[in-house]
Amino acid sequence: MFEKVAQKLKEPLMPKCTINGKEIEVKDGTTIMEAFYQKEVPIAHYCYHPGLSIAGVCRLCMVEIEGMPRTQIACNTKITEGMKISNVSDKAKDSVKWALDFHLINHPLDCPICDQAGECGLQEQYMHFGKYEPEMGQGKVKKRKVVDLGERVVLDTERCILCSRCVRFTDEVSKTNELGIFNRGDRSEVGTFQDKPLNNNYSVNTVDICPVGALTAKDFRFKQRVWLLKNRESICTGCSTGCNVNVYFNKGGVYRLKPKYNSDVNGHWMCDKGRDTYKHLNVEARLTKGKKTEEGKTTECDAGELAKQTAQLIEKIKKEGGGDSIGLIVTAQYSNEEYAAMFELFKIKLGSNNVFYWINNQKTFEAFDGLLYRGDKNPNTKGLLRALSKCKFDQTWDKLEEKIKAKQLKIVVVLGPENQEVYPDISEKLKLLNSVDNVVWLTTNQVLGTELLKSCWQIPVKSTIEKSGTYINFKGLEQKIKPVTNIVSGALTLTEAAALFAGDEIPFDSKTPVKGERVWNEFFHHRGDL
Amino acid sequence: MEVKHLTEHYDKDGYATIKGYQKLGGYENLKKALKMKPLDIINEVKASGLRGRGGAGFPTGVKWGFLPNNGEPRYLLCNADEGEPGTYKDRLMMERAPHQLIEGMIISAFAIGSPKSYIYIRGEYFYPKSIVEKALREAYDNGLLGKNILGSGFNHDMDIYSGAGAYICGEETGMISSLEGKKGQPKLKPPFPAIQGYLGKPTIVNNVETLAAVTLVIRDGAAAFRKQGTEKSPGTKLFSLSGNVVKPGNYEVPLGYKLIDLINIEGGGLKPGRKLKAVIPGGSSAKILNKEESEKATLDYECLAQMDTMLGSGAVIVIDDTNCMVDLLGVLMHFYHHESCGQCTPCREGTGWLEKLVNGIKSGQGKLQDIDLIETVARNMCGRTICALSDAAAFPAMSFVLKFRDEFEFFVREGRSKIKGTSYAKMHH
Amino acid sequence: MFKLSNKGTEFVKNELSRYESRRSAILPCLTLAQEENGGYINAEIISYLAHLMDIPESQIQEVFMFYTMYNKKPVGKFHVQVCCNISCAMNGGRELVQHLTKEFRVNDGEVTSDGNFSFSRVECLGACGGAPMMQVNEEYHENLTPEKAVHVLKNMAKGNSHGS
Repeated sequence: MFEKVAQKLKEPLMPKCTINGKEIEVKDGTTIMEAFYQKEVPIAHYCYHPGLSIAGVCRLCMVEIEGMPRTQIACNTKITEGMKISNVSDKAKDSVKWALDFHLINHPLDCPICDQAGECGLQEQYMHFGKYEPEMGQGKVKKRKVVDLGERVVLDTERCILCSRCVRFTDEVSKTNELGIFNRGDRSEVGTFQDKPLNNNYSVNTVDICPVGALTAKDFRFKQRVWLLKNRESICTGCSTGCNVNVYFNKGGVYRLKPKYNSDVNGHWMCDKGRDTYKHLNVEARLTKGKKTEEGKTTECDAGELAKQTAQLIEKIKKEGGGDSIGLIVTAQYSNEEYAAMFELFKIKLGSNNVFYWINNQKTFEAFDGLLYRGDKNPNTKGLLRALSKCKFDQTWDKLEEKIKAKQLKIVVVLGPENQEVYPDISEKLKLLNSVDNVVWLTTNQVLGTELLKSCWQIPVKSTIEKSGTYINFKGLEQKIKPVTNIVSGALTLTEAAALFAGDEIPFDSKTPVKGERVWNEFFHHRGDL
Repeated sequence: MEVKHLTEHYDKDGYATIKGYQKLGGYENLKKALKMKPLDIINEVKASGLRGRGGAGFPTGVKWGFLPNNGEPRYLLCNADEGEPGTYKDRLMMERAPHQLIEGMIISAFAIGSPKSYIYIRGEYFYPKSIVEKALREAYDNGLLGKNILGSGFNHDMDIYSGAGAYICGEETGMISSLEGKKGQPKLKPPFPAIQGYLGKPTIVNNVETLAAVTLVIRDGAAAFRKQGTEKSPGTKLFSLSGNVVKPGNYEVPLGYKLIDLINIEGGGLKPGRKLKAVIPGGSSAKILNKEESEKATLDYECLAQMDTMLGSGAVIVIDDTNCMVDLLGVLMHFYHHESCGQCTPCREGTGWLEKLVNGIKSGQGKLQDIDLIETVARNMCGRTICALSDAAAFPAMSFVLKFRDEFEFFVREGRSKIKGTSYAKMHH
Repeated sequence: MFKLSNKGTEFVKNELSRYESRRSAILPCLTLAQEENGGYINAEIISYLAHLMDIPESQIQEVFMFYTMYNKKPVGKFHVQVCCNISCAMNGGRELVQHLTKEFRVNDGEVTSDGNFSFSRVECLGACGGAPMMQVNEEYHENLTPEKAVHVLKNMAKGNSHGS
């Protein structure tokens, strides 16, 4: 009998409570807000954020607890055994309605010109709890608008509802302490000291967490209405952390990236540099057709067609000089499946051991800013290393230089970096490749300088958001991604290119693309019946 | 009749110096306390029924009992912010008897096991601060502070910290935030200060008068302390009388004393030719009493709570019939609007809205529905915020509109004050 | 270029270690900086203190903007604060400040042309028994009439230290 008691004492307490009539069990110490989040029950709130400390200032998350005369805030109330909680009772709804009313009395009606429309916390709750005539007939408090806070963020202090999320972010997450709330009462204003810019590498996260249009991203400002965007998940390819992202797109292309929560990788955040990685993926920046440059003259043709021509060229060179006259330069920017396909082609089909690993920043590989951004600017270094070691390919650019000088290689296929910005040595490397008779460059964007080579064939490849694949981040975590959208439909994945190089046909994907979902954000998620 | 227990020697020369204080029995209570067990002191204070004299009236001994029993160092903070309009008793105590406060604090610190205490004094009290600083130096020089106080083995350090002009720093967690070097914004409760207060450590916050009164509990014992006052509100209290009385000032009377006696006897009544109209019994945050209620009220926690107001800080503001209630409400609403810290939405926006509504009426542009709207907005500001400033702003709004509605309606209808001769009848503040 | 005196710098150093948290030194150091700068604080001083105390500017700025005793613009040699809260309002506090600004020919919140006086309306100063009253720099002057107040101030300007 005592063993049973002892065992029971060792078990963690799991208090049971009732939320809107449904009984649930939670870990001891869970707040009501956390329980709502866990069970995905909608609850109105602004200042609470699971990645930040509790502020309890918006007073919107009011719930009625049986036995308590006043409604309580959910974010700071811990659940006790037998608690009966409701946020849909009349009393709770009345508290929320008034809290919302107080938020709106000085809020400027900027919706027609505000980026946040469509994903705005005030709009959400107004549709749910309000839709009433405003009772405040007096003039609203006027504050500063369009305050430039640096390269990426614009502040509108009038729209600000003073939830303090952004201030807590710069205190607790980026630890840069730029933001504060100055002054008192309804004269309070969010801002930086003397409008100093928010130039830390995580500034745009404040835009994500701002429930209203007080903080907006310069990059997205006035570009697109959010209800005309769809979003799907992918990963950021900016560095080896592999933050999970939501890609917002429509037929016009990608408009922005936002972090997606992943407790193992990036938590709730992503860095600003990662947000730029969509820019080189939109169709304006892309190579849409195969480009053949020979002796300064350029012709175009389909990607597939060019790949087939490459296949013929490779076969010819193999017959003449054997597999080792064919070289492959590889960057750590592609998926495991693509490496497997390419390496199988080279090692087995072509019998070539000349696979060279193009390392772009060995010196800063181990760099880490303490939060998310790493010195290795490639999304799949670990995946590439694994694939290389499997095939026992261990040559780097130095060996390549040797072999080129010795005129051993007649054709070099380059799996060029998707993110050319982080490979500042491209033009230098091109000079070396000038001594090779044939260069085939697989790339998403035009590579400048290739027109000066003796012969360069550029084949457009699909970007990370147009394909599925597995990427391994710095920690060794495998992350699978699915296609987000099509930008250049004629481009090839490396797997397809490898198949074509081998002389095979690409299997036809008969599945119709899945429709993207509507804009997702925490407020939408907690919208309830709407 | 005043019953001068605390203020017995306040008018004696030199009482503010240590020599003057000791000559009249000063620090004897500390000697007595240091011979007691800390838990016994707490129990004695509990038994005395001493209630917080700053405004909330929470039983002091019970508050001390909330501290955890884990030997962790805890802080004692003396709330000398005294910002509640109408209140000026703590200022008197610090100017005339700083050593009484210090003695009370050392006894309390000993009882709760605190090695360090702070007196948080409002920034504008330059003169009282200088008096207290001098007294602190004297205490240190005479072995009453620092290591091994009076050979008891008890170490205690006391320091004084100035505010910089914010009413909200009178709220206990607002004060703690200010002492931590931040804006004086109140903290969420729970956790309560006794568990997690100043810098996350267990903290007790007590008013100046409460801590000084601890010396009386030790000197006379709980039973004798209870001889004054009522059963639920024992002891004497200082009341700050102001407004339209002939003799405003601080008066120490037993709790339960009749409000009208304080006004007419101690206060010397109203100026000739004037009639009593209303009384705010406990600082501007207490709901107002009309003439009939004022004549019935007694100055203790229960009676006033039953009359839907509160004893609060004990600041009795007497209003005669030459005042316009709309005007006075405007003054108060401006105050709360100015002082709201701005953290939580109902208070931040509501205080502004209330001032705008009252000013609208004062300017002659008000509508009849504005009067009901004042009541509605105020009611919905209550009980939904981090601290009680929102309620403090709402209480005057609700009670003025309820009890003096005729004046508000007159102003709306006629575009001017019902009270003739009020110079501020039609002014924006 | 603002710089604290040697004594001031010493004070800052001591304050930083006087309290359990370095941040607590912000309030007293702002008060000191205001004194040394002739009565008000500007952005340069905030930056200076942030650098000297190794505390983020935003934290000092928050404190500076929150509390009313830190002056955001220049004040007169004698900064006069008249309480206009309820007990003082009932006893002529508002009329007093109106009279004073008229007498000294200056608007609320501005400095007289000779630099001597500035007037502002403030909330309860804890002197309700002596209404109406005013605070001039660090001193309270209670039980005033408009004439008495003018007399006190004019004496101060002449150089009589306690002005009565």
